[in-house]
Formats: sequence, C-alpha cells, structure tokens
Amino acid sequence: MTLTEQVKAVGRKAGARVVGVAAVEAFREKVPEGYRPEDILPGARSVVVAGGDGPTAGAWRSPDNRVMEITGYDLRENVAVHAMCDFIEGTLSHHAIQAPSLPVHGHEPPMSMMHAAELAGLGTRSLAAHIILNPEYGLLYYAALITTLQLEPDQPLAEPACPHPGCAAMYKRIGTTPCLRVCPACLSGTVQDGRIQQSTYDREKCHSRAQTYGIGSFQKGLLQIVNEDDPARRRTMIHSDFFTKSIQSLGFFRDSIAQCFECMRVCPVGRKYRKLQ
Amino acid sequence: MADLPSGATTQLKTFALKSGATVCGVADAAAFNARAPEKQRPDDLLPGARSVVVVGGAQPREGDWAATSPWVMQTMGTTERIQGVGRRLAQYIESEFGYYALYVPPGTASGDTPFLSLMLAAELAGLGSKSLAGPVLNRDHGFMYWSAVITTAPFEADAAEENPACPAPACREMWDRDRTTPCLATCPGDNGGCLSGKLENGRAVRTFYDAARCNTRVHTHWVGGFQKVLEETLNEPDRDKRKMLLYGDFFTRSLWAITYSSTNIAQCFECMRVCPAAHGLKEMK
Repeated sequence: MTLTEQVKAVGRKAGARVVGVAAVEAFREKVPEGYRPEDILPGARSVVVAGGDGPTAGAWRSPDNRVMEITGYDLRENVAVHAMCDFIEGTLSHHAIQAPSLPVHGHEPPMSMMHAAELAGLGTRSLAAHIILNPEYGLLYYAALITTLQLEPDQPLAEPACPHPGCAAMYKRIGTTPCLRVCPACLSGTVQDGRIQQSTYDREKCHSRAQTYGIGSFQKGLLQIVNEDDPARRRTMIHSDFFTKSIQSLGFFRDSIAQCFECMRVCPVGRKYRKLQ
Repeated sequence: MADLPSGATTQLKTFALKSGATVCGVADAAAFNARAPEKQRPDDLLPGARSVVVVGGAQPREGDWAATSPWVMQTMGTTERIQGVGRRLAQYIESEFGYYALYVPPGTASGDTPFLSLMLAAELAGLGSKSLAGPVLNRDHGFMYWSAVITTAPFEADAAEENPACPAPACREMWDRDRTTPCLATCPGDNGGCLSGKLENGRAVRTFYDAARCNTRVHTHWVGGFQKVLEETLNEPDRDKRKMLLYGDFFTRSLWAITYSSTNIAQCFECMRVCPAAHGLKEMK
C-alpha cells in the first residue's frame, strides 16, 4: 500500500465516504495569494479532502419537514480529517492541520472546502447552489487537511456530475432542470450539449432560507428585541419559539445545520443510495 | 422477519454495543399507537416504519455520582456520546440492510414536545420502565440516556420489561416505614419540590409531577437562563447594573451551557442521586 493509499484508508476507516488528494500547486490557478494552502501551513505539499454522508435516506423520506431541519449529521468528515492528521504526524512525521473552513469575514472561509473537493477529484459544482456533487453519492459534506507530506494527487473529474443525464434531457425538453424548477428564487442557469453553460446562485436569498435558525436569525431576533421599547412585547419576543429555536441552534449547531434542502431533494445524482426498502 | 437476513437483529445489536451503547432493544413501531399522541408516532416521521431501535448508555459514571463538587455533574454531561451511537446506527441500517432509517433528532419539534418520546421508546423496546421520579430505569444499569432510530426494517421486537427497576427493595422498605421514598423525600411536591407519589401493591404510582418547576431547576443555565437575563438586562435602566448582569456568573455560565450544550445538559440530578435503582447492579469499590 502506498503512503497515499494508507492515508486514504485511515480516513475511510474513520468514517469518510470518499477521500481525495490535491497537490498544493493546483490551488494557484484560482485561489488568490494569501489564501493558498502554503499560506496557511508553510511548506505545505498536499491537501487531503474527506467527504462525509449527509442525512440518511430515511431522513430525506420523512414527511415532517422539521426532521430534516434539525436532524443530526455525523459530520464524520471532520473526524476522518483529524484521524488522518494524527496518522500523518504520529506515524509519518510530517506536519498536518485541519484546513480552516468556517467563515471569518461574511460568508468567506479562509479556505474553500468546495474548491478543495473539486481539485481532489471528489465532485463538481452543480446548478443547485453550486453544491459540489459527487458523481456516485451526490450530496456529501467536505472537510480537508493540509500537510507537508508529498502525496500522489488525484485529478479533477473529467466528466461533471451535474447535469445528470436525466436533467440534461429534461432541460432539452422543457428548458429547466429539477433544481432550477424547485427553486427559481435562488437558482438560475442554462444547459447546453449536456453541460452547464451558465449558472447563477443568489447566496443571500438562499442563506436566509437555508439557515432559518442559526447565528443570523439569532442576530436578527436580538436586534428586534433590543429595538423594542415595550417590555411586554420584548418578553414575548425573547421567549418566542423563533428566538428560542435560534438560541438552541447555536448550541446544537451540528443538529441544526440547515432548514432548506429542496434543490438537493429533487437532485437525481446519488439518488440510488436514497432508494431503499 | 421477511427480507431481513437471519440473525439481522442480533447483528444490529452487536454493532450497537460495539459502537458504545450499553444496551440496545427493538420496539415494534405499531406499539406506539396506543400510547403516543398523533404526530409523535414512528410512522408520522418515517412512512412505512416497522421498528424503532433504541440504544441506551452514556450515563454519568459512578465516580461522577460520588464526586463531592456539585459542579462536576452540573457541567460534565455525557449524553452526546449516545446520540453519536444513534446516528451511526441509522447509517449502518441503511448501508448494511438496505432499509430506510431515520435518526430521531434529540431536540424538540416545538416547545417541549419531542419528535418521538425516547423514554416511551426505551420502555417499548424492553430496556427499562418509568420510575417514580420520572426517568426510565434499566434493571441492570439504572439511569441512562437514550437515542432512537426509526426504520422500515422489520427487526425482531423485544418485549416490554415485566419487572420494573422502581421501586427498589430498599425503597419499598422505606415506604412501609416512612410512607415516602428517597426520590419523593428529596424533592417533595408538597414542599417546594417536583414529585409526589405512592407505592401501591409494591408498584410505584406517580400522582404529581411539576414539569415546569423541574425544568427551571434541571436547566438552570441553559437557553431559559439566557432568555431570563436578556430580558432582565433590557428592562434594567441602570448602566452599571446592566453590565453586572451581562458579566455576572449566571449569564456567563448560561453562555457556556449553550455553547457546550451537549456537555452541559442538566444542573439537577437529585432524584436520581438518591435512587438505589438508578445506579445499576454493579458494585463499585
């Protein structure tokens, strides 16, 4: 087993559904200076990306929309990344860090996990909110590590996962795809010759729908409460279901990651894993 | 057990125990219909549900119960570990057996209403029975935390427990002698506490439980504490007092509790602390 295969095996054993490797040089084309892997870890040679499962097929099937809104995810990709970091540092004696992926300015993270997943050959951007789709499993959640260890890189996928052949045929027939049709408010795009020709995504609008409960709703609720002069009304707002759930979502972030999944619900990529008995 | 390979239920339980559960049981999804309100039944959450797999464990260790500092139990909850097992089990059922599996979210659907009562699920899966104090107690291990997975897989259901852990023999003796039990004595509903009840024919019968009062004591420093101080602060005209409220120990601990919600789950365990059945059968040195 090569070093690269060993690292990937550690990641998969720790719960990653897929693991890919990108060389740090691959980031230079699209990532500005100051945000590249070697700017985060001096001497970085490789980026290892882990993709973890999202909701179970049973969760997708639930008619109670609140289940998907607050059901928990494993987020095992983070565990897998830490297991691989431990292996690289402990056994292979090279530096390894988890790549920082939480926003530090607005929605911007220090390093894009979506871009890392693309470069590591794990998926391609879709018409649906530009979510990275793995051609086999569809929606996955991604985490990455940066290491000074030289690993054998994977190549970006030659064939995009989106549009799925069924969606390309639908577009040809009626000029739209399942995701574009289900959310014309946030998404638009065109398909030509079976490829995405153009795609736009209203992130602000999507954010307000997908993260109904979270930091943003807490801030919104708090501002309204602070600006309310009437103590009785303030009390109602503070103890309301909306504000309570917003506070809960801060604590149970892992269990309350998103409240809208509609563009992914209709996406056929990886659907075979959602069709069970 | 059509379609499932023989031994599937045993395989599932072995996996659950290996993943960190102390106990694992299976309830027939239809068994909920008689006792759970509509919208809180397995089929409401997952159409075609046949079984509910319940895992229990992650309870405080005997060392936690024995600790002399109240802050140990107040800030060192372990419930998150059993939720991880539940999540893992849901994925295992789908990938290993090819049936839909829905991990029951540990939070509430709205207000204090759960998606599915985990305590009822534990009872129906034969893992324990309700105690006079409220929590479901397992005969061997006592008090524990629960997680559940609803699935379309027809696993073999376990029978409900016939001999409840509560009342423990020592509590029966105490009742015969003093007309009270350790849990009733430590939190008496008629004297500022939350519980009232009696033993009838050797069985526990709870006659009163003040859930709202219990909630304010168990979750002293959680979301409710945050909301309380926020309201007080906004109503406070004095700037210095506002500052004291926001930097006070109470508000600070409430913020810790929210951000470390899984490890800061409860601040009152007294009815369970004194319960002889809550600590399981294993003797500690």
